[in-house]
Amino acid sequence: MTKQEQSSPNPVLAVLLACTIPGAGHFYLGRAKRGIIMFLTITALFWSGVGVGGVLTVDPQKERWWFAAQMLTGINGVVAWQRQTKAYQTLAKAGGDSLEDRTVTAGIALVGPAETVARAYSGVAGLLNLMCIFDALMLSVMGAPGEPQPQDDKPKGLAKKEAAN
Amino acid sequence: MISALFYNPVMVSFHSELLLLLPLCAAVGLVYKAVRVERLSQLPLEYVKLLAYMAFGLAALCVLLWVIHTYWP
Repeated sequence: MTKQEQSSPNPVLAVLLACTIPGAGHFYLGRAKRGIIMFLTITALFWSGVGVGGVLTVDPQKERWWFAAQMLTGINGVVAWQRQTKAYQTLAKAGGDSLEDRTVTAGIALVGPAETVARAYSGVAGLLNLMCIFDALMLSVMGAPGEPQPQDDKPKGLAKKEAAN
Repeated sequence: MISALFYNPVMVSFHSELLLLLPLCAAVGLVYKAVRVERLSQLPLEYVKLLAYMAFGLAALCVLLWVIHTYWP
């Protein structure tokens, strides 16, 4: 096995990491700064959505497609889903009116336009992470770990050859 | 206290709802350019350019739709 083969990234691991934590796939591929930017942006966007919409922003029963997009944020989506389940369980134990009416009484029912904003933010965060997952997969399949070499750092002969082509 | 912040929905008015498109565009632009740019030093300039395109594009679309809505016979 050559040295290059030994250091080539594992695509499955890159995708798994990117699916679990936004930006972790790029971090694994040696693109740490990009990974941090992705993590902060996607996490901030997702939790801004949940902040606007409240605990019921992530709802697998009512909004299945948005839920699928939200789950693409990995750990963020799972934590929000767990909180939503817990909130529903607490309301279910209370008894009385229907579950939907109880969400209104508890003040956590989602109504427009906050609903649209919340679901768009959290769902788009998931779709952005899908783009990052795909990018991490492509980079690892192509075997291109680390930041691309700046043009000036290349050996002069190679730079001339590339310019001629 | 932080968990309480993410529990109850925030009241959003219709006008601020439209303005909330800007942070969404900012986030989309930043992640897209973080994926696309070859060198990270190009990111700030490319990001600002894309953000300007998106903001002006949406504003132009908004004006166009307003004109159609207002003056359409």
